[in-house]
Amino acid sequence: MPDYRAPLKDMQFILHDVFEAESQWQNMEGTSHCDRDTADAILGEGAKLAAEVCSPINRSGDEEGVSWNDGVVTTPKGFKEAWVQIAEGGWLGLSGNPEYGGMDMPKMLTGLFEEMMYGGNLSLFLYQSLTMGAALTVNAHGSDELKSKYVPKLYSGQWAGSMCLTEPHSGTDLGIIRTKAEPNADGSYQITGSKIFITGGEHDLAENIIHLVLAKLPDSPAGSKGISLFLVPKITVNEDDSLSGPNGVSCGSTEHKMGIHASATCVMNFDDAKGWLIGEPNQGLACMFTMMNYERLSVGIQGLGCGAAAYQGSLDYARERLQGRAATGVTNPDGPADPIIVHPDVRRMLLTQRAYVEAGRAFGVHVGQQLDISKHGEGEAKTRAAGQVQLLTPIAKAFMTDKGLEGALHGQLIFGGHGYLREWGMEQLVRDARIAQIYEGTNGVQANDLAGRKVVFNGGKDMASMIAEIRQFCSDNASLADLVEPLGKAVDNLEELTNWLLAAAKEDRNAINASAVDFLNAAGYTVYGWMWAKMAAVALKGDAGNAYLKGKVETARFYMQRILPNAFSAAEQVRAGSQPLMAIEDEGFDVF
Amino acid sequence: MLEYKAPLRDIEFLMNDLLDYKSHYEALGFEDADPDTVQAILGEAAKFAEEVVGPLNQSGDQEGCKWEDGVVTTPKGFKEAYKQYCEAGWPSLPGAPELGGQGLPASLTMIITEMVGSANWSWSMYPGLSNAATRLLNATGSDEQKELYLKKLISGEWTGTMCLTESHAGSDLGLLRTKATENADGSYNITGTKIFISCGEHDMADNIVHLVLARIEGAPEGTSGISLFVAPKFLLDENGNPGERNSLECGSIEHKMGIKASATCVMNFDSAKGWLVGKPNEGLKGMFHMMNAARVGTATQGVAMAEQGYQGALAYAKDRLQMRSLTGPKNENGPADPIIVHPDVRRMLLTQKAISEGNRAFMYWVNQLVDQEVYGNEDVSKEANAMLDFLTPIAKAFATETGLEAANHGVQMYGGHGFIGEWGMEQVVRDGRIATLYEGTTGIQALDLLGRKVMGSGGALLANFTKVVHKYCKANEGVAEMAEFIEPLAKLNTELGELTGKIGEKAMQNADEVGAASVDYLMYSGYVVLAFMWARMAEVALKNPEDGFMKSKIKTAQFYYARLLPRTVAHRDAMLSGSDNLMSLDEELFAF
Repeated sequence: MPDYRAPLKDMQFILHDVFEAESQWQNMEGTSHCDRDTADAILGEGAKLAAEVCSPINRSGDEEGVSWNDGVVTTPKGFKEAWVQIAEGGWLGLSGNPEYGGMDMPKMLTGLFEEMMYGGNLSLFLYQSLTMGAALTVNAHGSDELKSKYVPKLYSGQWAGSMCLTEPHSGTDLGIIRTKAEPNADGSYQITGSKIFITGGEHDLAENIIHLVLAKLPDSPAGSKGISLFLVPKITVNEDDSLSGPNGVSCGSTEHKMGIHASATCVMNFDDAKGWLIGEPNQGLACMFTMMNYERLSVGIQGLGCGAAAYQGSLDYARERLQGRAATGVTNPDGPADPIIVHPDVRRMLLTQRAYVEAGRAFGVHVGQQLDISKHGEGEAKTRAAGQVQLLTPIAKAFMTDKGLEGALHGQLIFGGHGYLREWGMEQLVRDARIAQIYEGTNGVQANDLAGRKVVFNGGKDMASMIAEIRQFCSDNASLADLVEPLGKAVDNLEELTNWLLAAAKEDRNAINASAVDFLNAAGYTVYGWMWAKMAAVALKGDAGNAYLKGKVETARFYMQRILPNAFSAAEQVRAGSQPLMAIEDEGFDVF
Repeated sequence: MLEYKAPLRDIEFLMNDLLDYKSHYEALGFEDADPDTVQAILGEAAKFAEEVVGPLNQSGDQEGCKWEDGVVTTPKGFKEAYKQYCEAGWPSLPGAPELGGQGLPASLTMIITEMVGSANWSWSMYPGLSNAATRLLNATGSDEQKELYLKKLISGEWTGTMCLTESHAGSDLGLLRTKATENADGSYNITGTKIFISCGEHDMADNIVHLVLARIEGAPEGTSGISLFVAPKFLLDENGNPGERNSLECGSIEHKMGIKASATCVMNFDSAKGWLVGKPNEGLKGMFHMMNAARVGTATQGVAMAEQGYQGALAYAKDRLQMRSLTGPKNENGPADPIIVHPDVRRMLLTQKAISEGNRAFMYWVNQLVDQEVYGNEDVSKEANAMLDFLTPIAKAFATETGLEAANHGVQMYGGHGFIGEWGMEQVVRDGRIATLYEGTTGIQALDLLGRKVMGSGGALLANFTKVVHKYCKANEGVAEMAEFIEPLAKLNTELGELTGKIGEKAMQNADEVGAASVDYLMYSGYVVLAFMWARMAEVALKNPEDGFMKSKIKTAQFYYARLLPRTVAHRDAMLSGSDNLMSLDEELFAF
């Protein structure tokens, strides 16, 4: 298994030099408690945690997997100790509400922390991530009583959390869920139904698990407007916050999956389990949506973390593995062959991985920044940021996870046949990264959200705002022609596509969904180009002899020349429209 | 679990309507391979694939192979299926009649391999490797060796392997260290360790015949000092039956991402007795002779995984009810519409279909060329060989890379269920992934194509191909209904020549230009080849456009041109961007 090392230098460059985080934090009251020293201390400690606690049990966790026995789920060796260490460090409350013991750190920073944790051990950090997500939701929508009872213990890691949405017949289409909630006289509810794909639904890491469950109240409207959200603890809690007894919640089984073997994916059965309403009746999906933007960015960062780990592994291997000679002459005359990093095609794969990882990292910070401004900012800036969050979230989730898998596949290929063997860890990264394209809304669903809700249905307003921002950047940096010229063309391309889509959607109801994935890709390649131009512009202002900055500039050029052209392929595919997809009859798919 | 159904209708279309296998077989003197016989054989093979090995695919993955003290046990049912396979005479199909074979053309075996491999790739590797070893021994062995080994290999009583790779020598076989010392009786003692030996040890056959690359003492260094040896697991007694155990054994089997039911062995040769095959130091020459056929075999795995992914996803897309169609409900009595109504789901299905059927057509053309190379007179063989030299690296890399993409679309369409083992879709991805790695990685194929083949022939091998396409386009010029295919095809075909010229010029100045452009060049070429195949299929289908099958062909061709062919834009720009953006970054600047 490649030993994960957190890329601290790059994280600090992006956070401090490219995005000048500190000045922004100091400008907003809600983030003014965070400064550069605090951020660096958090990143430094996070890096240790990822390298020393998470990464060492990643490979063994995959081999051992979780085991289920009569409703009891046991996590792999070392997971419980890691959970305790992370909890005791206060990490679960990193972005939490200070009233309940959270540290309230800005998302720009916490996204980087998450990347390290996912890079070190995706399966492990999913338990924490779901717990933090549950805490976020209760904090945002729960009554004061629910908040003070549950949130502090979720932040401290004494209890864990889960999110119970999906049912066997109801995945993307949550409007058709069947789980029922019957009101009790005391204001609580009895929840009955079966949920699947529940990450961290049952395990042995914490003394209690707080499930957030979507269910339907009696006589609620059909479809997505009739869904409510409930808090259902695994073990009910007494008035004095001590644990009472088992609730009617049980884990029916765990799934056998392609990857994230150490993460328990549970079938959860609720059999008259006692629960409490979170937020208003029938507003369950709205409550979920407030955390959705955070969760979706976080899933994007999962792809990024796997991609970054794969890059590290394959770079080490490319430097060590001796095979073939360089085309331009021997570079390792004393060895039997040259290290494979001399071969142009190996470098192409390494640079592709790097280009996606570092642009993704910058993009994650950018989206984090918009989340922070939309939460803590004021006036026009706040409104604009909220619009950008809407626009960018589906791109972050889908594009970062697609590029995470692509990077992991390149990493595996660089290892040749060894990449296929479990002991080297590269194939695990592919298997683990694959889930991020699927859950939290498949990437097709994300693309539809972008093209439809986020672009067409608001007349392209937020997209126009982003395009203006990128154009401003290009004109401010006009002297960097080899970067801003290709970027400028990509932006023009994106604008034309947006206009095409707005027009096509008026004529053809299938236009949005037919073009969505290619449209998202065109947008993704363009914003990654923007991130690279931003990084290179800052790097070029620095010390010309600095090797790290030089590498940034070279990689930016690589991106513009080798990767950005994909935006134009995507554009042609968008413009092909829905006809090539809809013209074939359903029976035309059968040929056997 | 996936159920494989052999696509016999498509196979008939390719053999009868598109590629006229009848005349092809007649021209090579295979009178027995008349259409009726071929149809009967393929029908039986389809049954074997669907009913015998298909049902063992998932259980084989779950059970895997077991190694204990040098003995390898294959999963339940594998041995029995192999027995049936031999009893039905399948292994002897392509063998020479004087050695007990049926003397049928190699292409027929390939087509059967596609069906059997689509149903269960792991299982198909045992007869597949055996077939490869048989052909190599047939091509390079002495009459005595043929007599001793081939009869039993052809009957299937024994199986064969190819022992090439060593731990430090994968892509770079010149580095291999296994030694051969000559004995007084003319035999050799072979000592060394081989890795990644597919089917190196198992429980299906009475003997295993290993073909081993090794260096005779005092041989030149590098690739010109490698010889080929035959070393059976059991030495033969005077009657030619397995006798004393040879001193070679399986040290362990690998734990892999996929193809878990195929034993990937570490093979230890400890003064094992072996006999020279062919001339000393000409071991690789013999191998190269086999290379085209072996690569086409691996390319077939690309077709297999695309087909499996497509079949699985299509069944699910018709069955899974989720959300409503954008143009109004299509399943009013159900809670939601089947997901096949959604344009983006159709995009994924059509991508799979275009890849699967496009690559199948490509393979069936290549299979004819292999027949001509092997059985044709000198002129025919030479011409076929020249075309194959150009096409096989494309077939191997392009069909497996796009096949993996198609397999991944299959997982994606299942949403969360795609990630779960029981549905079988994730196994298709795990099993298929190996095809891009073994038998020369994608990068190695690309270097072979652009460096050795295209540049190495001064462009002649490319011109061979582009001439054929050019002629085809000319012949269809002015045919109104073909214009949507012919115009872009002719343009890309011309552009392929121009791109080659530009890269060639640059390569004269800088040897790294070839490696820098190679993978994009190969993928670009692959899209042109498939565009050629899809135009031809559309041409045939347009003769009978009311037939459902034919209509589906036309629509899929249109989809391919509109939605997949634009990928050439990005590959073109990337390959033209030169080597500087890959080579200018100092090795130490890759990461910090």
